[in-house]
Amino acid sequence: MSNSHLFLKSGFPRAPLQNGLGRYVCQLQRITLKFCKNNGSSRGMRDFIENHLVDFAKENPGIVVYVKPRRHRTPVLVGEYLNGEREWLNCRNNTKDEISKWIELLKTQNGCSSSLRLRKMWHTDVPSVQGPWTPFLLRSPDANSIEYPNIDASKPLDIPKTATDKLIELFKKQKLEAGDGAEDLLKQKRAE
Amino acid sequence: MSFLVQSVRHVLRHTTQRTTLTGAMRALSLSPGMHQQNKPAPVVDVAAITKDQQKECQLICDRINQQVAKAEQGRLFAVVHLCGKQFKITPGDIILVEGYWPPTIGDEISLDKVLLAGARDFTIVGRPILEPGLVTVKATVIEKTLTHTKTHFKKKRRKQYMRINFQRSPNTMIRINSIEVTQTVDGTSKAKEDLSRRLF
Repeated sequence: MSNSHLFLKSGFPRAPLQNGLGRYVCQLQRITLKFCKNNGSSRGMRDFIENHLVDFAKENPGIVVYVKPRRHRTPVLVGEYLNGEREWLNCRNNTKDEISKWIELLKTQNGCSSSLRLRKMWHTDVPSVQGPWTPFLLRSPDANSIEYPNIDASKPLDIPKTATDKLIELFKKQKLEAGDGAEDLLKQKRAE
Repeated sequence: MSFLVQSVRHVLRHTTQRTTLTGAMRALSLSPGMHQQNKPAPVVDVAAITKDQQKECQLICDRINQQVAKAEQGRLFAVVHLCGKQFKITPGDIILVEGYWPPTIGDEISLDKVLLAGARDFTIVGRPILEPGLVTVKATVIEKTLTHTKTHFKKKRRKQYMRINFQRSPNTMIRINSIEVTQTVDGTSKAKEDLSRRLF
């Protein structure tokens, strides 16, 4: 099993130089395509250079494109970024489409992404606008002046009613409903 | 405070529904107005909210509108729904969308599903989202990249079974440019025109 993740650096999302706040600046500055003119492993790279490279360069005037032929070596993509980082990609036996996909990735990222594990998907300079929550938020200020020990404040909030309480309540309710007539009846009964 | 704003808006919306739609239409739920925002609204008796409460709500709305008009509200924050997740954002924030997402670098987008917007002194809460056009959130896509390599390792003991897969999924980084309150808080009539154009 791979243990490479054990020493992987971790961090938080950052963008270089406040990118995107005013305008967006593409971070890829230079891309180098290295390939062999004869070898089969470079075939996709050669196809890409023949068909799409000029279009890519025209679409992205901010990116310098170098093409470097070399004998009997695997094809390689190297991207160099504004923050000084340099990403090296092996493209051995890749097709034309795969190479255009990797070039797109090099273009859209800000630097080497493979070396950083993100701990959060959010970054902010202002964590709270209305102030962080505290247990005293939206509480009655009376709680400040209570003196302890206090019987009311020390009681649990959810004491269930006992059976006796329920009975007393029922009795009172009956009495109210029946009114005075019932009391007379009760008195009569007691007298008997 | 926010509850009062809500209740006022609720009342306003309720009355407009009454005037425009018949009861039968509502029962069939055929009307375009039956979007997620105002689906089977819990029946609230309008008379139950007393006059002075309404007056108080109006007062609060007016104060919010005044503050926004004078640009005294300070920094705004919002809770937006984006690609199945909710983010609490304020101008200058960076958020990341995980998985495939078509917008590319340099695209300026507006996040329309705003669930909540707030400033130092007030909060506007949507049910579940705010009316379209009430709050505009502008953002820029600044990076599309892949995550670090994640290893998926499976093994069953004594069964000669072992699999190892490596995976990198796309990530998109977005910078929030601005959050603005663009309409008056108690305006409910304008929203109707936009409803047909909205996707959600």
